[in-house]
Amino acid sequence: MVNGAVRVDPTEPDLSVRIGRLELRYPTLMGSGCYGSGEEYAPFIDLSLLGGVVLKSVTRLPRLGNDPPRLAAVPSGMLNAIGLQNPGIDAYLERDVAKFADRPCAVIGSVAGFSVDDYAYVTKRLAARDEIDAVELNISCPNVGTEGETFACDPELAEAATRAARAVTGKTLIVKLSPNVTDIARIARIAEDAGADALAVINTVRGMAIDVERQRPRLGNGSGGLSGAAIRPIAVLAVYEVAQAVRIPIVGQGGIETARDALEFFLAGASAVGIGTGNFTDAQAPVKVVAGVRDYLIARGKTRLRDIVGAANPAFAGVRA
Amino acid sequence: MPLAQTASSVHAAVVVDRREPAPGIVVLGLRVPSLEESVRPGQFAMVAMPSGEQAAVALAIYEAGAQHLSLMIVVVGTRTAALANLAIGERIEMLAPLGNGFEAETLGDDVALVAGGVGIASLLLLAAAVVRRGARACLYYGARAAGALVESDRFARLGIEVSNATDDGSRGYRGFVTELFAAEGRRHSGIAGCGPTPMLRRLAEVASQRRIPAQLSLEEPFGCGVGACWGCVIPHAADENGAPQNLIGATRNLPSLAVGHRRTTQRKDERFTYVRVCREGPVFWSEELRW
Ligand SMILES: Cc1cc2nc3c(=O)[nH]c(=O)nc-3n(C[C@H](O)[C@H](O)[C@H](O)COP(=O)(O)OP(=O)(O)OC[C@H]3O[C@@H](n4cnc5c(N)ncnc54)[C@H](O)[C@@H]3O)c2cc1C
Ligand SMILES: Cc1cc2nc3c(=O)[nH]c(=O)nc-3n(C[C@H](O)[C@H](O)[C@H](O)COP(=O)(O)O)c2cc1C
Ligand code: FES
Repeated sequence: MVNGAVRVDPTEPDLSVRIGRLELRYPTLMGSGCYGSGEEYAPFIDLSLLGGVVLKSVTRLPRLGNDPPRLAAVPSGMLNAIGLQNPGIDAYLERDVAKFADRPCAVIGSVAGFSVDDYAYVTKRLAARDEIDAVELNISCPNVGTEGETFACDPELAEAATRAARAVTGKTLIVKLSPNVTDIARIARIAEDAGADALAVINTVRGMAIDVERQRPRLGNGSGGLSGAAIRPIAVLAVYEVAQAVRIPIVGQGGIETARDALEFFLAGASAVGIGTGNFTDAQAPVKVVAGVRDYLIARGKTRLRDIVGAANPAFAGVRA
Repeated sequence: MPLAQTASSVHAAVVVDRREPAPGIVVLGLRVPSLEESVRPGQFAMVAMPSGEQAAVALAIYEAGAQHLSLMIVVVGTRTAALANLAIGERIEMLAPLGNGFEAETLGDDVALVAGGVGIASLLLLAAAVVRRGARACLYYGARAAGALVESDRFARLGIEVSNATDDGSRGYRGFVTELFAAEGRRHSGIAGCGPTPMLRRLAEVASQRRIPAQLSLEEPFGCGVGACWGCVIPHAADENGAPQNLIGATRNLPSLAVGHRRTTQRKDERFTYVRVCREGPVFWSEELRW
């Protein structure tokens, strides 16, 4: 359920964010594919202290996912190649989505696809469900051959997928961009023009690790997506550049583990942050991020988080309302 | 048979004991004031790095009691090195207890415990549970060399017969522990195994040939350790809807899964799905694995 932007204590800084029609009490979204459906982390954190959970990406047809090993720990991060394991939209709607109804934070569905029609079809069916507060379009999965990521790397496909999804839902539409492009700001503008309400910046960075004993890649899939602290500077720059190019809100992500990490993204121009791999480092990271950002604002006499968004970015083009 | 689930949560722990039974192998004793309930054999902890920056690491719970547990760490990389370097008095955080663990009740009254290397760490609590049930147990324990065979005395003290194998023949049988076990030929009622994947695959073969039911504790690279990332999967028998068959312990909120088909050498066209080692496991019936 959407948590309303209710301020309990007027002396507390306002950390709420508005992303399209979606109101978040806290500016923290748990990264797609890193947080299951939220229930998995419920024993370790109070889910009502999260802005929201972005669900694992779902596709039109069932997908088994990639052969293991799917993960490899690398310095300051990890490589993953899950390969969009999911039961397909039919089984998902029939058996799984109803269980998301009682989450005490926002629930954002994630849609992946292999054609423009896939994106439209899955978005339409998923967004029609009351349990789903908003939709994120994953046009940037690097672990399904080249097909998935092609959408975020090809301006025409990015535009077509965004337009197609926009046409089938009035709910907040977040488009998730890939860092594996030469000019991310250009794709960002295209997604904005095609109707995106917000942009998630960034998905994982392509990478590989090789097992030197066996002389073959450590991941079953060969290549994978790099996440965690290792990609933070790449992500901060991407947010910085995108924030100069679009007016819609940005959900900055890539290696956020602490409040200081999150602040880099806010100052670069993100309105909210995504936390994925950081949860594997510290299951309490999302509450520590919120507490630290709050303290930072108080120490600087700021009453609203949005007042510092883009503060380190002279050409910030977004809206702070 | 579903078992009662011990509630898992975040725990703060203090190192109260540290020993190094062999170079590169450290046993840490931890005081965990918030750990009230008992831990089941084969459960594990996700132990956070003292400095952050890297994902928590999965470690079997070696010993456990009220407000206390211990971990056995074999240094293989940066995270195990960081934990092995902790000194008495240092604090760490962990998520525990996790996973479904072994089911001592279904292993019968003459249990073979088969361990390779640090796999020994998953078997001590089970050994104690087996003995407590009044069942008999033998430990087959293999490592590279005699120096890496640690803590056998803990099993011997429970009245368990220990046979060793080493790659270099420096103690016991020369060769793999699975071959020692196969050569031994005793008709055990059940097998519990933990160790490197190639060892467990071979153990599964031996168990199948001898028609002894085997529970194997698997290892895959972990991300979250709590079922959220689907990074730790292994192929497991499933029905036509993708529901995994014959899992050990409780399955909580298992989402729908895609079904796959695989041609294996012995069995023909087999249905499987990918299940999570951290959540549906880490212990599985070997007959249900489709690797
Ligand atoms: C349920 C479960 C229980 C476990 N229990 C225990 C336990 O009780 N005690 C214990 O010590 N461990 C245990 N482990 C294993 C432990 O979690 C892993 O070994 C963990 O990955 C170690 O982290 P690390 O950062 O030290 O090493 P990592 O960097 O993660 O390395 C892991 C392995 O990969 C190898 N590797 C890394 N990079 C390369 C490369 N480029 N080429 C070739 N090989 C490479 C390393 O040598 C090492 O063997 C358990 C695992 C699971 C899943
Ligand atoms: C194990 C794993 C699985 C992921 N699965 C998805 C996914 O299904 N869909 C998606 O849009 N992003 C997926 N991501 C990307 C994350 O949501 C996030 O954008 C990225 O990892 C960068 O943020 P981080 O460093 O905080 O993890 C996945 C990341 C990881 C580590
Ligand atoms: S390690 Fe994340 S699901 Fe098992």
